[in-house]
Amino acid sequence: MRLAFILSEIGSGLRRNVSMVVSVILVTFVSLTFVGAAGMLQMQINQMKGYWYDKVQVAVFLCSDGSTAASCAGGPVTPEQQDSLNTLLESPAVGQYINDFAFESREEAYDHFKNQFSNSPIVDSVTPDQLPASFRINMKDPEKYQIISETFSSQAGVETVIDQRQLLERLFSVMNGASLVAVSIAGVMIVCAILLIATTIRLSAFSRRRETGIMRLVGASKTVIQLPFILEGVIAAVIGAALASATLWAVARFFLGDFMAQQYPDTAFISAGQTLILAPALLLLGACLAGISSLLTLRRYLRV
Amino acid sequence: MIRFENVTKVYDQTARPALDAVNLEIDRGEFAFLVGASGSGKSTFLRLVLKEDRASSGAVYVAGQNVAKISSWRVPRLRRGIGVVFQDFRLLPQKNVFANVAFAMQVIGRSRSVIRDTVPEVLKTVGLEGKEHRMPHELSGGEQQRVAIARAVVNRPGILLADEPTGNLDPTTSMGIMGILDKINQNGTTVVMATHDDDIVNEMRKRVVELKNGVVIRDEAKALYTSMIPVVGQSRRLKDASGRETPDEAPGESGAQR
Repeated sequence: MRLAFILSEIGSGLRRNVSMVVSVILVTFVSLTFVGAAGMLQMQINQMKGYWYDKVQVAVFLCSDGSTAASCAGGPVTPEQQDSLNTLLESPAVGQYINDFAFESREEAYDHFKNQFSNSPIVDSVTPDQLPASFRINMKDPEKYQIISETFSSQAGVETVIDQRQLLERLFSVMNGASLVAVSIAGVMIVCAILLIATTIRLSAFSRRRETGIMRLVGASKTVIQLPFILEGVIAAVIGAALASATLWAVARFFLGDFMAQQYPDTAFISAGQTLILAPALLLLGACLAGISSLLTLRRYLRV
Repeated sequence: MIRFENVTKVYDQTARPALDAVNLEIDRGEFAFLVGASGSGKSTFLRLVLKEDRASSGAVYVAGQNVAKISSWRVPRLRRGIGVVFQDFRLLPQKNVFANVAFAMQVIGRSRSVIRDTVPEVLKTVGLEGKEHRMPHELSGGEQQRVAIARAVVNRPGILLADEPTGNLDPTTSMGIMGILDKINQNGTTVVMATHDDDIVNEMRKRVVELKNGVVIRDEAKALYTSMIPVVGQSRRLKDASGRETPDEAPGESGAQR
């Protein structure tokens, strides 16, 4: 009985305040979408880290015909130089830092290139002799890159030593920056949402002061008087959070899953299913926001 | 049932207290009028009984409990034992008669079947049978006040507080309302009624407690409204107005008649 009564009170409260309720829904929707976007970016970074960190290598590029670096003044790498590099890699001094290494000839490099850029017209304008041969080294500890770099840069026939991880780190720092921006926008929007929920609850309490006055007099408990107001805010916020979750899912499904995956076939994007992990967190966050802000408001405007 | 021990209520430190060291006891089943000019402390008295306000000093006992010792989450329980009626009825305009009375039961969690049984019974007590589905604006003032009384007593409180319940009603209708309050009192409910209405007080011959500037200046059983000479032939409104205009009259006047 009491539950049915509280539900009917909530219904009438929502109906009386439709425009405010809609604005609460929209503000929580937008703010939680930004929160979720930040979450998605972090998930994407983790995904890419997991995917790439196993694969990233330190590449020791060898001098080729077109090399302009000072270390390549002696022309393209000779087989002797290549042998000595091979020996150096196998030596215990260097070997203790690396898992394994492989030689990538110009033809292999060309094949990889063709695979990687199969969608792009650039493939047609590249020939094997434009690409340098290289040693690909898998590090035991990627942090020890500096040692390899120092050892090999000075060797004859080496054009340059590149740590692919550093390229990734740069990408990740851009993505981290983007998620930070999303979180800041979300922060501002959440403040908006809290204030708006507080105002809505206040209006709602004011428009029903007759009812609440009578409820007080006949001895309704604090719960029965306040719960409808709190739940009104919570319901609006939860609807907003549900919309935000649906939006994130749609972004992952259609933008990342269909469009981006086609554009960048060798990048691992998060799946639509993974974004659903965010949904309960967003719903909980929305409910807490509304609950706390309406509790604080009611303490001031609806004394029992 | 209600006991005030040396109760003082100060709203504003600089002004005189609204109630000044009031000692008063109203027994179970009693019917008491609280009379006095506006600002004499009648409403403050009722607010203290309901624990809407806290006494500045002294103790208020309601049904044996010191209300100052009731924690805030148990205040609703206190109020369930007290029905309240106001001058302005305070009905919910969107609800019909039945729903207005049922509201008081719904909010304290009574079951639907109990409500269905109790509400018509109470409406019959106040003489509103057959009008369950009327809206408040379709009722006369007296009928609206009957609805309000039904709502106040539907949960069977031990105490009924009435704050000028006949203030907006004509004399005949007022007597009807008094008949209902008397009936409720006969059924064992303690009734405390604050009023300006001398005709009613004189007619009922119940206990009269007169307040002036926050002090009890008269407490008599089976008493008349006041020492004031009834103004025969003048309209009630004029009498009310004269009552309000004379708060500065010497307390000796009432004292002399005592």
